[in-house]
Amino acid sequence: MRTLLTALVVCASLGDASVAAAGSSVSVSVVDLVERAVDYAGQTVTVEGELVGDYGVRSGQWMWTQLNGDSYVTSPLREGGSVSTANIGVGVRMPVDAARNLDPPGGYRHRGPVVRITGVWRYHDPSRAGETYLDVTSLTVMEPGRRLSEDTAPLSIVVGVLLLVAAGGMGLLWRRP
Amino acid sequence: MLIRPVAEDLKVMAFYLGRIFVVVAAAGIAPLVWAAAAREWHPFSSFVLMVGGYGLLGAAGLRLGGDERHLDWSHGMVVVALTWLLVPAIGAIPLALSGHFARPLDAYFDAVSGLTTTGLSLLGDVDHLASSLNFWRHLLQFLGGQGIVVAALSIFAGGGASALYIGEARDERILPSVTSTARFIWAVSAVHLAFGVTALALVGWLALGFEPLRAWFHGLMTFFAAFDTGGFSPQSTSIGYYHSAAFESVTSILMVAGAMSFGVHYALWRGPRRAVFRNLETRTILSTFGLTLVLTAVGLAATGWFTEAGSVARQGLFHVLSAHTGTGFATVSSTEMSHWGGLAFGGIAIAMSLGGMGSSTAGGVKSLRTGLAIKTVANQIKQVLLPERAVVGTVFHQSGRRHLTPELAQSVMVVSLLYVALYLLGAGVGLAHGLSLEPALFESVSASANVGLSVGVTSPGMPTSLEVVYILQMWAGRLEFIAVFSLFGFLYAWVRGR
Repeated sequence: MRTLLTALVVCASLGDASVAAAGSSVSVSVVDLVERAVDYAGQTVTVEGELVGDYGVRSGQWMWTQLNGDSYVTSPLREGGSVSTANIGVGVRMPVDAARNLDPPGGYRHRGPVVRITGVWRYHDPSRAGETYLDVTSLTVMEPGRRLSEDTAPLSIVVGVLLLVAAGGMGLLWRRP
Repeated sequence: MLIRPVAEDLKVMAFYLGRIFVVVAAAGIAPLVWAAAAREWHPFSSFVLMVGGYGLLGAAGLRLGGDERHLDWSHGMVVVALTWLLVPAIGAIPLALSGHFARPLDAYFDAVSGLTTTGLSLLGDVDHLASSLNFWRHLLQFLGGQGIVVAALSIFAGGGASALYIGEARDERILPSVTSTARFIWAVSAVHLAFGVTALALVGWLALGFEPLRAWFHGLMTFFAAFDTGGFSPQSTSIGYYHSAAFESVTSILMVAGAMSFGVHYALWRGPRRAVFRNLETRTILSTFGLTLVLTAVGLAATGWFTEAGSVARQGLFHVLSAHTGTGFATVSSTEMSHWGGLAFGGIAIAMSLGGMGSSTAGGVKSLRTGLAIKTVANQIKQVLLPERAVVGTVFHQSGRRHLTPELAQSVMVVSLLYVALYLLGAGVGLAHGLSLEPALFESVSASANVGLSVGVTSPGMPTSLEVVYILQMWAGRLEFIAVFSLFGFLYAWVRGR
């Protein structure tokens, strides 16, 4: 329900343009977008992934963040996922209204919201002195963000403290004349 | 005849290694406190283990070593070489326990990469890494860039300081004593830290719209990686994450400051400033920077991916600066960089291989050696062309008039050739693993010159043998060979000596 509401709010805030853009877009993965970046230059594409990092709101108009499309989106390391590749992500820019109801971005404590984004792939955009990013025209939240659990490692603490005690003992011996 | 080391040799080395471990144990408390403050309890536990490990090694070294004794040249070199292998071994513990590495060797790779200020990484999912672990990775770069041994020297004065100082590839003594020079290096860094972090955090907060705490976090991490020409980043898309010319500009200033020798910093602080621009080293680095910038810009323009000159200038300038200073930041993906090819590839690769100034935090051949090597070759050519009895001038300017003696020329050529050999060795191993020439050479130069730019070869799951070779390249490249050869010689003497 919350997902649906967010999607409705976001689509409403972006207006008709989002509908038109989504209609003529090409569905690609983030991996494909990164690997064949030049092929999609200037095209409207639809990608899915997790929003990570920060939500940087600039001039009250645009929000910048990063969209990741790697294996960690579906299998976070702290939920039993395994290390496969480095992160694969692209920068995204969206109207600030679109970001208003988003859950916190992905980081150590959160798996960020998984979103489907349609936007124009600005490849080395001359208006931004050669930056590459996805200019969002519509956004749908596919899966809300969630808090990631954290376990502790008491054995590490116990062993570490024992080592420190041993080190302290040796230090005292060394100081003896 | 080689003399087999005796117990006394081991004791004196154990003593100095112990001192260095004590300093690193103290440094390890910083991420431990950070983890507690951020309530990151899993990393906190692993930092306790790490500090315990460093503490025990430090105490054991001091205990075994007994009393302080004079450290001679060869012992100092061996101590330095061992320090740069053993410190990352313990420093890798929190990384290995984080679950972000496929195997312990990968965590060790990252720790070596951090300490040697290389910046290549095998970390999976950096975008979800705990802030305290990110802090530790970046702090390793700061410790490595400043020189762990320099850190120890600034705290403990004592016999053998010169050997340790030079073993860590710092041959410029700015002030009369090594200890005062080490303290000056830390003073310069502290001033840059204050200004750099403030500037980056303000850009992050006011221009990029980050929350104040996050802006400060990004500022601190980027400062460590930029000033110490390391190249790690708290986000997977490196400096491209920020999408900001202002952030790139501040970062660029810090990269340049990091690649300047501390002698130049001293001259800029205390004067005479004009003399800096008369130095062969300064002139060489400005020339090679200009040359590689032109090559890269022409190469980027030829790709046809950029539609106007401003984009080529911004991308070209940032990446050449990043490569020449040995930092390794990027604003494009490694996939895109692997497709640059041609002149852009050549420009970046040459810039990486040449590196920054001597006695700085940068790696590579270093600009003074490059300048002297060119002068040596030019003199040889002149000697051949001029009449037999003609005398070719051998004076150059480097903080005053100096003579390019045959011994100096020989030393410069030997070390420069060793770097070339190291670049080719890694490229050869890469080729043996089925890589094509360009990525094999690019990644090898990046590892040996402690740069960290990557065209995608260095990634989780890379072949173990290639990974080990890159670790050795990062280590040998950072220490500029002498300490490494001393360690090998020491081990050989232990086995074959009498």
